[in-house]
Amino acid sequence: MLRRFARDRAAMLGAVLIGLLVLAAVFAPWLAPHPEDVWQFHTPRRLLPPGPGGLFGTDRMGGDVFSRILFGARITLSLSVIAVGSAVLIGVPVGLVAGYFRGWFSDLLMRFAEIFLAVPQIVLAIAIAQTLGPSIQNVILALSITYWPFWARLVYAETRSLRNEVFIESAVALGASPLRVMVLHVLPNIASPIIVRTSIGMGATILTAATLGFLGLGAPPPTPEWGRMIAESREYLPDAWWYALAPGMAIFLTVLGFNLLGDGLRDILDPRTRRSAGQGGGGGGGGGGGDE
Amino acid sequence: MVWLNIVLNRLVWLVPTLLGLLAIVFVLSRVVPIDPARLAAGDNASPEQVAAVRHSLGFDRPLPEQFLRYVAAVARGDFGTSLFTQQPIADDLAARLPATLELTLVAIVLAAAIGIPLGVVCGLRRNSWLDHVLRVVTVSGLAVASFWFAMQLQFLFSMKLAWLPLSGQIEGFPPEHVTGLMIVDALLTGDTEALRSAVRHIVLPAITLALPAAATVVRFTRNGVIGVISSPSVAYQTAMGYPRRLIVWKYVLRMAVTATVTQLGLIFGILLAGAVVVETVFDWPGIGAYAVRSILQSDYNAIMGFTLWAGAIFVAVNLLVDLLQAAIDPRGAR
Amino acid sequence: MSDILTVADLTLGFRTEAGPARVLDRVRLSVRPGEIVGLVGESGCGKTTLARAILGTLPAEATQVGGGRIELAGSDMLGPGGGRGVRGRAVTFIPQDPFASFNPLFRIGTQIMDLMRWNSPRRDPAVRTGWYSPARRRADRAAAIAMLEAVQLPQPARILRKYPHELSGGQRQRVMIAMALLPEPRLVIADEPTTALDVTVQAQILGLLRRLAVDRGVAVLFTTHDLGAAWEICDRVVVMYAGQTAEIAPREGFFAAPRHPYTHLLLRSLPEEGRDPVGIPGSVPSPLRPPPGCRFHPRCPRASQVCTEQAPPLLGEGHLTACHHPVGGALGDTLDG
Ligand SMILES: Nc1ncnc2c1ncn2[C@@H]1O[C@H](COP(=O)(O)OP(=O)(O)O)[C@@H](O)[C@H]1O
Ligand code: SF4
Ligand SMILES: [Mg+2]
Repeated sequence: MLRRFARDRAAMLGAVLIGLLVLAAVFAPWLAPHPEDVWQFHTPRRLLPPGPGGLFGTDRMGGDVFSRILFGARITLSLSVIAVGSAVLIGVPVGLVAGYFRGWFSDLLMRFAEIFLAVPQIVLAIAIAQTLGPSIQNVILALSITYWPFWARLVYAETRSLRNEVFIESAVALGASPLRVMVLHVLPNIASPIIVRTSIGMGATILTAATLGFLGLGAPPPTPEWGRMIAESREYLPDAWWYALAPGMAIFLTVLGFNLLGDGLRDILDPRTRRSAGQGGGGGGGGGGGDE
Repeated sequence: MVWLNIVLNRLVWLVPTLLGLLAIVFVLSRVVPIDPARLAAGDNASPEQVAAVRHSLGFDRPLPEQFLRYVAAVARGDFGTSLFTQQPIADDLAARLPATLELTLVAIVLAAAIGIPLGVVCGLRRNSWLDHVLRVVTVSGLAVASFWFAMQLQFLFSMKLAWLPLSGQIEGFPPEHVTGLMIVDALLTGDTEALRSAVRHIVLPAITLALPAAATVVRFTRNGVIGVISSPSVAYQTAMGYPRRLIVWKYVLRMAVTATVTQLGLIFGILLAGAVVVETVFDWPGIGAYAVRSILQSDYNAIMGFTLWAGAIFVAVNLLVDLLQAAIDPRGAR
Repeated sequence: MSDILTVADLTLGFRTEAGPARVLDRVRLSVRPGEIVGLVGESGCGKTTLARAILGTLPAEATQVGGGRIELAGSDMLGPGGGRGVRGRAVTFIPQDPFASFNPLFRIGTQIMDLMRWNSPRRDPAVRTGWYSPARRRADRAAAIAMLEAVQLPQPARILRKYPHELSGGQRQRVMIAMALLPEPRLVIADEPTTALDVTVQAQILGLLRRLAVDRGVAVLFTTHDLGAAWEICDRVVVMYAGQTAEIAPREGFFAAPRHPYTHLLLRSLPEEGRDPVGIPGSVPSPLRPPPGCRFHPRCPRASQVCTEQAPPLLGEGHLTACHHPVGGALGDTLDG
């Protein structure tokens, strides 16, 4: 399985991109040429194009964009990990319970989850973030509230389709408690789609978080949040063309990394939706299959 | 029969979904640290004035009562008044609907016109260089932050090259009002000046909006084609000597498009979400930009109105998708 | 009369992720005009692969031809552009799965008329475009309705307007038979045409297929894992084991005096009065790791040293057997000799 993954160059690229993000976040203080620029102003050096002074140029406060990008990685990573983690922690149990038991309570849970899916996620997130006030914690809260139904819906559907499997029913017949069946029998069998969904969900969450930052709903300045940096750069276009370039690329590469990884994981974990089935797959399905 | 079932199925859930949505947003809007009465009264209002405004807007009543009052008003078609434009929300939304509709329609057409043929070709030539290139492009298209992409387009095509306008929907006089859609109205009234301007203005926002949708269409169509091309029905037709192009462009395409249509709700969701950001960056006078502005200004009536509108649109689109599916798939919605 | 189909020493396999799958090994087979030949073998022994190879519809990028020849109605199916202009005209096909083989989104009539447009016997071979004259369309449609009647489908005109899912499995397979006969082919390849159907319908469909083919003088190559079905309709039987031809014999000789140990065991596994069916121990080997020599030797009670080293040649006149130690006498002879 690992070898299959290693041969998938796109998925490997995704893993590498995420690895770089993690490295940047962890070692930002040591990697950044000007770590102090996150908080300090150097007005004489403001809006310098990329050059010997700074790899990606400087911003309106004279801060080194490269250093700020590295510190921004910390925000992006911690924010998305916590937000997605909470969404998973809410969504998976809700989906498990609603999928495992039948009855009005399950229906109610899923109807409640679907309400959140009835408006674009970005709108809900903006509304919540604005209501709660601009801070990183509130962005995380907004994202968790917005995104948990995705996991609930996925886990619900998977659990429902597993519910009638022989091995689940036999576990129930042997007297295992519902909790035990859910955690020990259902959950391990639906882990693959959850993992895939989580990787892709990371990408979506990071995009939404950046959008919140762009609209001024994230952490207050001078926090080096990538979306906010892009918003700041707007009034200096077209002269300071480099200003938005680096944060935009940083968002792009990070989201790309999680999406590629998710695609690759889907291929190895979830054979139903395998993207590039083995060469015999097509022919076998066309003629060789179905003899049993 | 089938049709009626589909419609009823959706409609039964429309009301509870919208009510739930309203309740969530309502609760959120009332735990706001900002006092809407103060906002409405203005910056230099005295405490007495604020209290008077609070009373007249009903903010001093218990929350459940406020909610019930609001729902009752909505049921009468009264969404309240915007705290900022001082217009009825319903009028504000209605005035901005055509702009959003026009942008979304152009983006959908663009996404389908680009996405479906590319998806078919990729599916047919799986693992060819074109397939690999387009895979990179589509994955990238879904990873780009649309506000950043929009800015880069503005930078290149408006600021540097000066080929296209930076923002807005039209320059000079809009065409005579017929449908509200600028391009359509300009065509109908033969206003070439307005047509030119409207088309030039819509290019960049439409491309930005269409990018992630087109990427999604390519992926669904490609996977649909791959699934169908290795299906027994294609194996049978090949063995029976149906010409290849007939198999592909009649039988396979129809199957792949049917599969893509089932995802139309998702694609529309992408567009609706995208419109919120794209309209803001391009100053497009539509509902998305209105929503962002209302939210940023804590214009809670407008927020509730917009949320309700978005939820209703979503339900309507899903209903439409169900019906469309029943229409193009003879097996019907089983 | 010369054969309509000749498969000579065909060796063929697939590239797979687990290595080459050597599915067919020097397969020999022939079909004479108007003859009904049964290709018999257990599931997984390569019947479908052979049928698709003959039709030229194997996945080009994965298929490796190791050698041999397929000649169908005078054209070389392994050559460049193999089979184009033959498929759907001189040779037609009846698939195993009538449920999945129609496109679910188009009416039966559309799918039949698209076939007729390109492959009807009334088309002008000189016209290469898709031009479909109204006169020919009318004639083709009348032929289609007549053929649907011939396969005993009631109200054929209504069938044309239906979608595949509105027909039962048996009805669909009747339509498939009609479509196979409409181009007036010289050979029909039927790949387990009744496996997916109810047992009660199977016999009817087989009888129908045989009658229509005999009436029209059409040859049929019919694959099955069911010896009973072969007995019902075949003139000649070809037994294949793990991609190797084991025995070729006329129907009577085959059932009365089989010579190949595998055939023996197959016949013994048939349920019969006064005797319990005896299964063959073991299973068909994977084409990824076929046994050397005679591929049957791990399961063969007569196997000897030579069987594991040399593949037996197919020998005989009329009744051919590929075995180093063929069974001499009647059924029940010393199999374990
Ligand atoms: N496209 C393919 N790629 C790899 N192996 C294949 C392919 N098609 C068939 N096979 C293998 O060839 C063998 C014979 O299959 P098949 O011709 O379908 O047998 P049958 O029709 O007699 O049941 C099987 O082991 C099958 O797995
Ligand atoms: S006796 Fe030898 S050659 Fe004959 S079938 Fe058995 S193993 Fe094969
Ligand atoms: Mg088969």
